[in-house]
Amino acid sequence: MQGPSSQKATIQARLPFVAIFLILLAAYLVINLANFQFFPRSVRQELEKIGNSITNTTLRIPAERGRIYDRDGEPFAFNVIQYRLGISPALVAAGYAESLSETLAEILDLPESEIIRKATSENVWEFLAGPISAEQGQAIAALDEISLGLEEIPKRFYPQGELAAHVIGIVVDDGLRGALGVEGAYNDTLSGRVLDLSVSNVPFDLPEDRPAEQRGQDIVLTIDRDVQFWVETELKNAIEEYNAFRGTVIVMDPRNGDVLALANHPSIDPNNFLEIADPNLRVNPAINETYEPGSLMLVLTVAGALEKGVISPFWTYNDTGYIEVGGRDIYNATYRSYGTTDVTTILMSSLNVGATKIALEMGTSNFYGMMRAFGLGQATGVGLFAEERGELRIPGDSDWSESFLGLNSHGQSIEVTPMQMITAFAAIANDGIMRQPRIVRQVINADGVEDARPSTIRRVVSAETAALVKNMLILVVRDGAPAAELPGYSIAGMPGTAKISTAVAFEEGRNAKILSFIGFLPADDPQVAVMVKMDRPDADFGHQVAAPLFRRIADRLVILLEIPDDNVRARLTDVEANLNGSNN
Amino acid sequence: MFGSLTQAVAICLFQSDGRVCRMSQAWFQHTFSRKRFRTRSQATALAILGVAILLILGSLYLSQVASFAITNRQIEDLISRRDALKRQNEKLIGEIASYRTVPRLFARAVEIGFRPATNADIDYVLIEGYKPNRNRASATTAEDSRIEPEAPIYEETFSGWLEQQLALVSKQFQSFGN
Repeated sequence: MQGPSSQKATIQARLPFVAIFLILLAAYLVINLANFQFFPRSVRQELEKIGNSITNTTLRIPAERGRIYDRDGEPFAFNVIQYRLGISPALVAAGYAESLSETLAEILDLPESEIIRKATSENVWEFLAGPISAEQGQAIAALDEISLGLEEIPKRFYPQGELAAHVIGIVVDDGLRGALGVEGAYNDTLSGRVLDLSVSNVPFDLPEDRPAEQRGQDIVLTIDRDVQFWVETELKNAIEEYNAFRGTVIVMDPRNGDVLALANHPSIDPNNFLEIADPNLRVNPAINETYEPGSLMLVLTVAGALEKGVISPFWTYNDTGYIEVGGRDIYNATYRSYGTTDVTTILMSSLNVGATKIALEMGTSNFYGMMRAFGLGQATGVGLFAEERGELRIPGDSDWSESFLGLNSHGQSIEVTPMQMITAFAAIANDGIMRQPRIVRQVINADGVEDARPSTIRRVVSAETAALVKNMLILVVRDGAPAAELPGYSIAGMPGTAKISTAVAFEEGRNAKILSFIGFLPADDPQVAVMVKMDRPDADFGHQVAAPLFRRIADRLVILLEIPDDNVRARLTDVEANLNGSNN
Repeated sequence: MFGSLTQAVAICLFQSDGRVCRMSQAWFQHTFSRKRFRTRSQATALAILGVAILLILGSLYLSQVASFAITNRQIEDLISRRDALKRQNEKLIGEIASYRTVPRLFARAVEIGFRPATNADIDYVLIEGYKPNRNRASATTAEDSRIEPEAPIYEETFSGWLEQQLALVSKQFQSFGN
């Protein structure tokens, strides 16, 4: 048996090992503790995420879509809230389902039996109704019933209904994405940012508010609501009167490119766009569809030739009623020969042969160069959804042939949009300077108002050429389309008649034409340009149906836009000149 | 009681060294065994004071936290009230806009005897010496007058040019043939 001294010796001998073991154990624990405190970033983030998932809830907050106004601040599009209602049957208190169903049936105007069936269902969640109005939603929220779940649905509302529907457009995907018109073209501006907001469940944390910059930006259009209304009214009346298939009118200020009205008939109601049976109605013919412009092209051909110095205002040719270009025979629309003919007569009588002669004199380089300068074959960039660029085939294109030079000169085998045509005419009205057509005037955001300043695309023709063409167009209206004349005002304009072409030939028949008119007034100081286009009316020539519609619209415009007649303007100019003289 | 406790602790801590243990034992006894009543009252007072301080701090903390929670709840209520008011405002804007639509105003105007004015109904009165402050947009500006007509944007491709040349040559050959 070991004595105490022996035990002590044993303990003392073992003690260093125990101490070393304990030191190593402590070191291991300390190292692990340090490791635990200083995790790699990815691990820390993961742990934070787990922690946040316990204390925070992530809410997806849809951005409030920006509003759309006309140039005077009248709302064209804004948002209202609707609700979707659901019920958790398991949370309905025992014996309460019937009285709850009775209340809900009264608020929602639904059969009580249906609500009872859902309220007592075995499912975890049952959809009850939606979308329901804000009033109904608020009445249900006031019940403070735990088993009911209300979900907000933002809804786009268009208070003006069909007015300017193709300009404004629509929204799809539960109001999240714009399509057509300004809604589609300016979707990024209007839609704002959808936020995933992490909201703390801890009652001591400050509640999160949605940031102001999340909201979409508001847009102010160049459209004048009153002008738009009258244009649509007159267009509708004319279409009924002439039994046309459809029609388009564009009103533009040539001085700055502002589109004051853009009307199509038939139109759509953006509040009920899902109910539109004919999908073609959703297309905006002013920018989404192309057509052969016919006689309107003569003006651009003549302006281009004058600008290039190929012809003078006194240039004449011998019209035999027929000309051959590239193996193709081209005739005047009337199949008549006109003998010695001047430039103004070419425009007045829409002589295809005369236009072809001028184009041949210009040559392909000059002709197509001028057509490109007038913006044909390119989208105007007016600011509407899915604008077509038209089709201008040029030498070198696989489907271009020599006869195209003759055909294009009077608006055949060329595809344009009405917006391209009025922009080109507006350039002539604006002393040869082509303004960028625009539909958006201002963008309003959290930082203030951003003005979209009018911009110039290019000078297409000189002021002298523009003046010459304007004078010719005044004569065209006076002698060729008197139905467009407005007493007291000088009007410059040109009617257009175009046959509707199919893949193989032109359609035949009385209603197989597109009749149009483009004019501007007052001719000496153009303040407004109007394009009228009617598809398949009961008439043969543009001056018979489009010109009278132009006059009716012009009659309204001079009042709405406060354009005094020529005499008053002349007297006003004198008064101002006298005032300036006396001041100097 | 303290004596036996300190003794036990001293034995426990200093068992290996009997001298230190005895000295410590004496010190503990000297410290805690004398004037027992005074020691207890001091410790109790300290304990009560500590508890009181803890209670004060605790209640201050709780009241502060409750105040935070109430304020946050109020802020939440205000945010939801603001949102509700904004929604009501939007709704009212919609109603007003619906009442102000041109077709409705036009129909109402006709009902009460108005009719659309025509150009012939308008009389302009010129006032000599009065210069209206009209913001007239002019057709061209000084900047515009400096813009020169652009060179035609015509891009003839090489293949197009080649086609034209070939067509010309073939035309010449044809004319020779004739």
